[in-house]
Amino acid sequence: MKINKEEFLSLSGIGHKMLDAWMEEEWLIPSGSSPELSFSEIDIARARLIRDLQVDFGVNDEGVGVILNLVDQLYGMRRTLMELRHAVRTNPSE
Amino acid sequence: MKNPYEILGVAPTASADDIQKAYRKLAKKLHPDLNPGNAEAEEKFKEIAGAYGLVGDAEKRKRFDNGEIDAAGAERPRQNYYRDYASSEQDYPYTNNSGFADFMDSEDAFAELLRRSAQAQANRSGHDLAYRLPIEFIESIAGANKRLTLPEGGTLDVAVPAGITEGQVLRLRGKGAPGSGKGGFGDALIEVEIKPDRSFTRQGDDIYLELPITLTEAVLGARIKVPTPTGAVTMAVPKGSNTGTTLRLRGKGAPKHAGGYGDQLVKLKVVLPKEPDPDLEAFVSNWQGGKTHNPREEVTP
Repeated sequence: MKINKEEFLSLSGIGHKMLDAWMEEEWLIPSGSSPELSFSEIDIARARLIRDLQVDFGVNDEGVGVILNLVDQLYGMRRTLMELRHAVRTNPSE
Repeated sequence: MKNPYEILGVAPTASADDIQKAYRKLAKKLHPDLNPGNAEAEEKFKEIAGAYGLVGDAEKRKRFDNGEIDAAGAERPRQNYYRDYASSEQDYPYTNNSGFADFMDSEDAFAELLRRSAQAQANRSGHDLAYRLPIEFIESIAGANKRLTLPEGGTLDVAVPAGITEGQVLRLRGKGAPGSGKGGFGDALIEVEIKPDRSFTRQGDDIYLELPITLTEAVLGARIKVPTPTGAVTMAVPKGSNTGTTLRLRGKGAPKHAGGYGDQLVKLKVVLPKEPDPDLEAFVSNWQGGKTHNPREEVTP
């Protein structure tokens, strides 16, 4: 699913200014280029995670950046681990 | 459901501040996105989020304390978590492999495996995108060049091959979603939907058509024009043809997989003039054969 900026704002519940700031920090990386930005479900879910961190957990902006960087590394490793598992399963002799 | 105060580990008399602190302490440990592999954490997180949704809100807490609402149904339904997407096969721009880059630098077999999988990630090809393309029956037999307008904008030119059947999927290489790195584009998968035709139907490689003819053509025979999906052809109707007589036009059907063509089968239907015709009535009333001939001989009463 691809949605535009307005739809993204209403689905994620964040405001214009906040979105610009998050994109500036590269917390969110939509595809396309301004003003024709295109968002997908993962961007919405990531925006909710950022809101959880800020609003529910009281993490400040510096903290969010640190957490997202670690989260991205964590998921990068999980993904690689999944691919390794796949490689091992399909090529047991190697 | 347990008492929300118990879930959060606070006394029912706790201040709003204490409740928030208790919630944050637990939520930080249990948030599903921060515990991607831990199903138990997700269950517990749902529980504490539900409890906090109830007693973390002054208004709802008052109603809960007064017994106006209970703990059931307090769980906040939540759409998918970030981890559901970040763990999927799909591409997304947030992956970061720097966490184990040092592992890839060594010369052992494990490093080789890691390097390969990182490369596969970097050069993953794009997804296939599926579309539906409605076409006319005639286009399905004769083939056509169609332009598909895509829901996400843009168009796609599709060469529909002659003889395509309902539900067949055409693959346009490289017309799908973009990949990452050198991965290239995915494919567009186009499912063909053939609109029913008023005259023609198809069975296998043969095409069926019911064709009205006049009484004169039926009795005396004639050469008539017959439509086929690839244009009209002339066909000889033999003398004495009847309703239900089926004539075969060889090679005028759908193209076959193995080469060659099926046939078109033309089922004749004798049609009298719409308006009553005095000459015809006069002829038939004097026609002796019409009175002795019994077409219902074999129809049991």
